[in-house]
Amino acid sequence: MKRAAVIVFLVVVAIPLVLAMADLPPYGSPDSPAYTHVGSYYLEHGVEEAGAENIVTDVILNYRGFDTEGEVTVIFTAMAAVLAVLMVAGGGTAEARPLPTPPSVVVRFIVRVMAPLTLMFAAYVIMNGHITPGGGFQGGTVAGAVFIALTLVMTEHDVSHLIPHRPERVLQAAAPIVYCAVGLLGLTLFDVYLGYPRTEEMALLRTAMLVALEIGIGVGGATVIATIFRTMGSDQ
Amino acid sequence: MIEALWHNIDYVACVVLFCIGLYAMIAKDNLIKKFIGLNIMETSVFAFIVALGVVEDGDAPIMGSGATPPFINPLPQSLILTGIVVAVSTTALALTLIIRIHKQCGTIEADELREME
Repeated sequence: MKRAAVIVFLVVVAIPLVLAMADLPPYGSPDSPAYTHVGSYYLEHGVEEAGAENIVTDVILNYRGFDTEGEVTVIFTAMAAVLAVLMVAGGGTAEARPLPTPPSVVVRFIVRVMAPLTLMFAAYVIMNGHITPGGGFQGGTVAGAVFIALTLVMTEHDVSHLIPHRPERVLQAAAPIVYCAVGLLGLTLFDVYLGYPRTEEMALLRTAMLVALEIGIGVGGATVIATIFRTMGSDQ
Repeated sequence: MIEALWHNIDYVACVVLFCIGLYAMIAKDNLIKKFIGLNIMETSVFAFIVALGVVEDGDAPIMGSGATPPFINPLPQSLILTGIVVAVSTTALALTLIIRIHKQCGTIEADELREME
């Protein structure tokens, strides 16, 4: 009975949506409104104005830099909320307990062999975000996945050494901190918060600022993901 | 109209995905299944917005040597990158709250939780 009611409701929801989809501009059309205004402006002027060959990076770090700063604050706040809800803010307080089913030797070996290679790939993705597909968020997620894979095959004691203890808090907040630093640098040099140099002579400084932001986002993202996963797993 | 729908079949697929997620959110009692449904809904919206930026025979919007127009619209991709991170944050927080609920009440079935009150 309940299931039938839900399905009727879904059909009622779906019909107007499907009808609206038929009225949208055809898929892949270069004349669609989404493509003819700001998107094409970014494509034409992005490289000279924002400095990165990857236009998506231009939009994220330059044109909509404030948006991204808010976003890194959101992910940091989410981690803080996770720690607050589970109340293990000290970190590493949970006693070591054996895994329910120890992973096989093959899994352990493969994860340990793949981890450094995958981390190297993550570093490549982060550092080349301005000229190739990739960037801080993507590389940070790959690095975070390495930490999660290692968490699955290692004992609790070894896992607590994965992230260095003393700078742990700083690493977790790396993305907002680097963002504020680069923003204030722009404020002092160019009188605009998060301002970038616009002349060709200072293109190197501009690229350095972009790469610094990418590294900050990548390190912060990876640490936040690893911390969230470890906090959820260690508290039972 | 059927022809227009057939040409926009990618958008229709997003609507179907959205409805699957909505079904999981409404009909399932398990809280984790509800949030997986929410994630499916989010994914459908992301896919829809990225599909809006696709251009016929378009290339990735990376200007380098050898890049030839047309390029795919970079704006939806950037916006969705933001959206994905926020979705991850909400999912992490939701799962944490579910862990708390399980510790406090011993169950994560919505109907059993309702009876407990």
